[in-house]
Amino acid sequence: MHDSEQDTFVQKNKNEQFCDLLDKIGIEAETKEIGTDEVEKGDYYSGSFTHSPIMVTNHGCIKLKNANIDVVQIIQKG
Amino acid sequence: MKDINPLPWGAQDRYQAHFIVKGNVDQSDDSFLAEAKLKTQGRFASKKVVYVEWIGGKIADILNKDDELAGMIQKLSYNDACIWVDPTKNGVRIHGKWKNDQELGISKEQFAVYDRIASHIKENLSSPPI
Repeated sequence: MHDSEQDTFVQKNKNEQFCDLLDKIGIEAETKEIGTDEVEKGDYYSGSFTHSPIMVTNHGCIKLKNANIDVVQIIQKG
Repeated sequence: MKDINPLPWGAQDRYQAHFIVKGNVDQSDDSFLAEAKLKTQGRFASKKVVYVEWIGGKIADILNKDDELAGMIQKLSYNDACIWVDPTKNGVRIHGKWKNDQELGISKEQFAVYDRIASHIKENLSSPPI
């Protein structure tokens, strides 16, 4: 009997997983090294909405091509 | 078995993808602040968005005038149709609800909505007094 799972797998972080999803829907995207984009350095929320969290974890940015959106940042609560 | 002394801190299984239009924005200025208020029909799995109204600064007025955008949002699921536009120092962020590890994703339709909102932001970022 064979196990259906492969012997090896490529471990991907949240940023790379989301980049793959964008590729699947036809958006040209490229992951950036964490901490290298200017949007990661400032506040992630304006604080104008009551549900804005105080503590978040940054998972890095994805640069988009041929879109009005410049970058996508993945954020985790806590 | 449940931990009897759970730690009250740490990263949770809640994720958000922020779709950012870069630009220098005054965070205290609410021109680029907006929230989609939805009117729905039905309950639970059959809950559908029937009307979208943007509430917020001047960008909300611009988004309210875009009927095609409203039509695109009505085609999304209720959870995906909840959208916020939040200005921060380095750019304007468009994001949806918090999602868990399994739910975090993006559909072609959802991206088209975010990109259309971003186009309105971009148009108005270049011309300061909106």
